[in-house]
Amino acid sequence: MSWPRTERGRLVASAPVTSVGTPAGTHRRRAVRAVAVTVASVVVLSVAGVALVGQAVRGNRTVSVQLAAGTRHDAALDDAFYHCLDVQAHSLVAPGRTVSLSTDNLADVVTMIKGFGSWVTVADPASSADVVLTLRDGVTGPDTCLGTRVVGTSVGPDGHKVVRVGTGASVAGTGPPPAPPL
Amino acid sequence: MNTAFATVVALLALGAAGLVPVAGAVGARWVTVPLAPLGGAVLASVAATASLSFGGALITWFVALAVVSGVVVFGTWVLRPELGPWVGPPNRRRPGRARHRLVGVVGFLAVVVACAWSLRGLRTPTVGFDARALWVMRPGWFLQSHAQLLVDMKVRGLVLTQSAYPPLVSASTAVAWHVTGVHTARLGVTTVALLNVCALAAAALALVESGRDAALRLARRTDSAAGGDVPEAARARPPWAPMVAGVGAAVLLVLVAAGVTEPFLTNGYADPIWSIAAVGAVAFGLQARSDRSTRAAAAVLVLVAGMSKNEGLVTALALVVLIGARSIGGDGLRAGWRRWSVPVGVGAVELALLAWWPVLMHAIDARGASSTFTASTDLASRTSAVLHGMSPYLHVLVLALPLSIVGGVMLTAVRRRSGFGNDVWAWLALAVGLVAIGAALVTGSGAILPWIRSTVHRITEYPILEGWWIIGYWAVVAAAGTSVRSAPTGTVERPSDQDAVGTGAVGTEGSDPPAQSVGSSVGVSR
Repeated sequence: MSWPRTERGRLVASAPVTSVGTPAGTHRRRAVRAVAVTVASVVVLSVAGVALVGQAVRGNRTVSVQLAAGTRHDAALDDAFYHCLDVQAHSLVAPGRTVSLSTDNLADVVTMIKGFGSWVTVADPASSADVVLTLRDGVTGPDTCLGTRVVGTSVGPDGHKVVRVGTGASVAGTGPPPAPPL
Repeated sequence: MNTAFATVVALLALGAAGLVPVAGAVGARWVTVPLAPLGGAVLASVAATASLSFGGALITWFVALAVVSGVVVFGTWVLRPELGPWVGPPNRRRPGRARHRLVGVVGFLAVVVACAWSLRGLRTPTVGFDARALWVMRPGWFLQSHAQLLVDMKVRGLVLTQSAYPPLVSASTAVAWHVTGVHTARLGVTTVALLNVCALAAAALALVESGRDAALRLARRTDSAAGGDVPEAARARPPWAPMVAGVGAAVLLVLVAAGVTEPFLTNGYADPIWSIAAVGAVAFGLQARSDRSTRAAAAVLVLVAGMSKNEGLVTALALVVLIGARSIGGDGLRAGWRRWSVPVGVGAVELALLAWWPVLMHAIDARGASSTFTASTDLASRTSAVLHGMSPYLHVLVLALPLSIVGGVMLTAVRRRSGFGNDVWAWLALAVGLVAIGAALVTGSGAILPWIRSTVHRITEYPILEGWWIIGYWAVVAAAGTSVRSAPTGTVERPSDQDAVGTGAVGTEGSDPPAQSVGSSVGVSR
């Protein structure tokens, strides 16, 4: 399309041209095109609608799985396990005392971080810690968190090592709780 | 205080902090409601970053930032009343105004109900692995002293390298813990879950607003095509089809997204919030009409995405560039600096806010902040593993792509007349997100197969959701296509993605499109 220009080369307003050909041909093409657009709209709307509804139903089922008895049991056990570790750690660390987490077992470090990493005052350097916390796994008997106990090691007033075992909570059973989805 | 009540209090605190700045930027619209708590979450994230940078308690920074941003917004409203949220577009009485408003209310309520229904997974008290190890553990660090926070972030003995991840989720939980006094992982999970559905509601409301916007435009152009100066009684009413399709697609999108993101939607992970927020940012920044309000909504969502997780950060940085490019456009580059200075300025502020945390992590030599790029030369096999690992999760693209092609070929004129942005923008944003995630996996130092197996269902949430959003978008465009009527020729449509129509406003009808947009026949397109 060419736009009329003045002698100075500026564009001026004018009625633009939108179609060529005979009026009859134009009307026919327009009608065909309108029908095509309507058909395409209906097809796209139908396909998109069916797909969205189908996936929404699937999504609804996925959410419902979260309410299954097994999922609830696993979640409750997981919660109880880490709450138990939290309480035992609290029994070993007085307010204001610095802590280091024993790095002998990487999995245990992660478990300790999950259990009580949010509130302990981590010492830097680790050697300056008032209490070294570690986990003792595979313990049988009462007062354990699914067979795990939190153990605190500190230096007593006489310079000797003092090893204390966490108290205040327990979860009967053995082994770590079922792993939640990663 | 029980967890449910504490969650409500936490959300109100975040919402109160974010309401004024969000309302100032976005205006009085339905989407402002879910965006307000997200705005508060952004303030919490900035507060955490400032606290780590300069010292001082996170909560002090949070309150200070909320007050300062509120004062700035109120001051702006006093000095320039025309920018206030109470100032709507010309409120002309038109036929169909009531139905247009009704759809806005119904759409908002339907999305809220769908979101609430999608949260029923919270009845199971799951705390995800990463959530307990990082996302809802780190809030305790943010509530410790500055010196201790530095130790927590730096000391190598803590092993946890992910603690250098962006802070929004943990910072929001820290605010929740502080204002309620309830320091539990469960409260962190519920707070994050509500923020997730706020982002989801915002993304879904973009479809509702687009449908209403399209209906108004189609009605106005029918008026214009009939001669321009149509008597009020004879004016066309906004057609139902695009408005109803917008509401329906929005509700379905919520249910689809809940299925895609569970169980992580309700177990405290950060993947859903960045993925959903990024989709919302694309919806408002690249697909809805481009005006100050939609760009502001997009900016809030971009910040949420970028401050939540590293993958979100990379995607958000790209979205800032894309949204800026769309705002300026080809015409803007040729126009004066006034045209592009505002988008560039806004983009620069967003980039600065997004970059602050990762730069800080490097500056303090935080654990996990150093590069983890692989020295492996076997990039081909890693790339192959990534492609094979991700492709089973991306089957939605097999539907979205042909739908997009058919729509692009047959419905482009309808799309333009209805005021929708070109979906090529959305595909670009999707591709950028995919490439960012894929590149991180290919160049990372972890063993690729176990890494893919354990994370692929989470890290593909964004492209999957974006694919479904594109399908919903075409559903609304197609619904508009069923409402288009042929009109006499003799006028030309010069459509533009820059058209500004304030149809999302609560209780206002919206302004007219620019004068050069004149009704035309179906086939006229640029």
